[in-house]
Amino acid sequence: MSNRPASGKPLLTVLGRAAAIFIVLVIGLEAIARTPWVEKALPLRSVGEYQYQFEMKWFRLQEYVKVHGGVDVIILGSSLVNTGVDPEVIVQTYSNETGVDLRVFNFGVEGLTVAPNSVLARILVARYHPALLIFVTEMRDYAANNGLGTETAFLGNPWLRYQGGGFNLTGWVVDHSAALQEYLPYRNWVRSDFFTQLSTYQRQSSETNASGYEPDHRIGQGVDLPPDPDNPVDAFNFQAFRNYQISLTRLLALENVLALGKDGKTAVMVVEMPVSPTAFAFFGGEAVHAQFQQVIASVVQTSGGLFVPWNACSYIPLDGRSDRWHLNQKGAPVFSACLGEQLVIQSLQPASIIHGLGEAGAK
Amino acid sequence: MNVTSAIFFLGCIPAVLVYWRLPGRFRTLWLFVLSLGFLLTWSWELAGILLVVATVNFFLGRWLERADVRRRVLLWIGIGFNLLVLVGLKYSSFFAPALVSLLGRAGIATRTGSLQFLVAVGASFIVLQMISYLVDVYHRILAPADRWLDFALFVVYFPKLLSGPIERARRLLPEFKQPKPLDALGAERSFWLIVVGLVRKIFLADTLTMLIPADIFSHPQAHSGQETLLYLVVYAFAIYNDFAGYTAIVRGVSGFFGIELSSNFDLPYFARNFSEFWTRWHISLSSWLRDYIYYPLSRGLLRKIKDHEHGINLVLPPLVTMLTSGLWHGIGWNFLVWGGLYGVYLIVERVTLLRGPRRLPDEWPRWRQSLSTLGIFTLVTLAWIPFHMQLPVAWQYFLRIFSPSAWIGLPLTTRGATLSAQVGVKSGLPDLRVFLVLLLALGLDWAQLRHKDETFLARWPVWGRASFLATLAILFVLLSFAETGVPFVYQGF
Repeated sequence: MSNRPASGKPLLTVLGRAAAIFIVLVIGLEAIARTPWVEKALPLRSVGEYQYQFEMKWFRLQEYVKVHGGVDVIILGSSLVNTGVDPEVIVQTYSNETGVDLRVFNFGVEGLTVAPNSVLARILVARYHPALLIFVTEMRDYAANNGLGTETAFLGNPWLRYQGGGFNLTGWVVDHSAALQEYLPYRNWVRSDFFTQLSTYQRQSSETNASGYEPDHRIGQGVDLPPDPDNPVDAFNFQAFRNYQISLTRLLALENVLALGKDGKTAVMVVEMPVSPTAFAFFGGEAVHAQFQQVIASVVQTSGGLFVPWNACSYIPLDGRSDRWHLNQKGAPVFSACLGEQLVIQSLQPASIIHGLGEAGAK
Repeated sequence: MNVTSAIFFLGCIPAVLVYWRLPGRFRTLWLFVLSLGFLLTWSWELAGILLVVATVNFFLGRWLERADVRRRVLLWIGIGFNLLVLVGLKYSSFFAPALVSLLGRAGIATRTGSLQFLVAVGASFIVLQMISYLVDVYHRILAPADRWLDFALFVVYFPKLLSGPIERARRLLPEFKQPKPLDALGAERSFWLIVVGLVRKIFLADTLTMLIPADIFSHPQAHSGQETLLYLVVYAFAIYNDFAGYTAIVRGVSGFFGIELSSNFDLPYFARNFSEFWTRWHISLSSWLRDYIYYPLSRGLLRKIKDHEHGINLVLPPLVTMLTSGLWHGIGWNFLVWGGLYGVYLIVERVTLLRGPRRLPDEWPRWRQSLSTLGIFTLVTLAWIPFHMQLPVAWQYFLRIFSPSAWIGLPLTTRGATLSAQVGVKSGLPDLRVFLVLLLALGLDWAQLRHKDETFLARWPVWGRASFLATLAILFVLLSFAETGVPFVYQGF
């Protein structure tokens, strides 16, 4: 084989021209991506987060704000919020009681515990200035090792770091490039499970409504019965949450969420998710749960937030759960109505809720 | 730090510029500092162990040269030391905790993980280089290194550190002393080697690897016969492009320092017999095995049994050589079977050759060359089964391919089936992505074969090259967002 290439053209000439073509191609692709035709043909958007549900909510909230001129209440939490809180029911309940139409968005994302939610809360409050931030939580959020992998992956995303104020080139490019945002939902096209993954995205995208709620159609069996250590799912939960202790790091993250309310422009309400009472067995029983409530209530109170404990909205019909943790399409409206009532009961009078409306809006 | 990372390439630019600005006598030192820096990105423990290995072999080499008696004993002590290092590191997961505790008692904090990195960072490659150095000094083919720095650089030279090529000291040490001046053509060739390497690694090997269903090599029974066969071929191309890509990248990088590393691959899947295959696949390893196992063993046997065609002379050298190759890849029965299979292939080939007229493959008619290429590729691909899987699973995989009942009535690929479900095309379609990437992989090899030049891209017109690079850069950016980082396969050996 020959050792020398035939051409003696300086490498820099080739590189210079390649750079010029690269720039032209990038500008061309960016221009094409911004045409209405492409935006319609490629409805999915992504910022490269491993958790597609987050991205969907992010872009849906943008749409929501564009349509409604702002957002008054953002509800944060895990998948329990995603399928368990219907903002339209909250709006309806609140409107019936006060005559005021709120603008509420469900930003619940699968797998996000209190730590990633504290970062997300800061970004959302800075961007949308909601009058109220509701953080829906439960005992598992405060177990030190629960959801660690998800937390690391979620927070490690360059775009999220950029949103949080940590400048990085990748995050900046993703944030500013329509072409990349339209490509990224398909970024795993080289993976064997790409089509399965894509179909999940498409399903989630079509089933989630404009205010961020995704109904769960499953009905859980035996969720009212005590957990069975011989059942693999129950056994896993027993193992994961035995010797339950509230992690200090997680409590600090909760305090970070609550600190967002200190500027007086955004109120913060912490709501305990009405998981099935049978789930408390995983943590050591009702007594452990009571201790948990006490700690959370005290942290919330100290920080000047509002706490709605489990007992406040614990009535969920028997067929209203898809498992011991999640509510389904029958349980979600019941809990959401209760949440709407709580907004009224907890002295969040219309004036205090809507005082931020003037500022609410997309950046 | 990985050799495909942006930071590696960005770091190489100032490193090269400084290198050529330095007076000649400081260049070795600069390369040594760079290599040490590269090593430290893995772990300081690793750097320490490699420097000990380098120092021991350096002094052993010098003693071997000076010694008049007991040279053989000294040689075997050296070989034994290096083998001990290799075996020790292969089993490092077993005794690393004890070593960590020992270091802890001495007040040195370390982690077991960082010690185990050495296995990932080419311990097997380094040990072979040390053994060949001692043997060459013993046979007085090579004068021992006169400066510790030169020899230490030979051990830790960063482009070849992770997975070779397995260099000989007699070739590389003079290169360190007198690197080739970097002219425009040399730079261009090095650059295109890196580009071809990146194409092979990122666009072909990584893509093919990601397209392989996650469970097919652990639960072959869950897949159809067609699938198991298809993804075995995919694996064959993935492992080849992965390693060939890596080698091209590091050769390109080294070329910018004026130091030419050995070529490791020469279109192995176009080989027309097994002897030819082993002159095209992992060339630096196979030539090492040839020079330090096969030839000495053949010569030793011939001294005892003069007949070239005697069974022992025909069977033992290839079998022992290939079993050694298997063991070098890993301590496990599956690697022994893999090596043994090649041993058998080579023996059968040698016996067959005895019967007919001896003609080189180039002299064969075209149809025979094509047919042989296909046959060799098939047998090489089948041999990847024990290489990649533990024996019980390998056997199941093998049965799955050859059992007609696994083929009949099943869709060609589950990925095809999923695709069908998504886009509503007729079910049973194969995963077209796999064929597309395989076609690209074949195309690249075919072009290289036609041009008889691995940097054939450099022959394209300037605008063609520029357009190719720009497109590649965009594809690279897009692929970098895919959620998998596939490590170099051979980094594990």
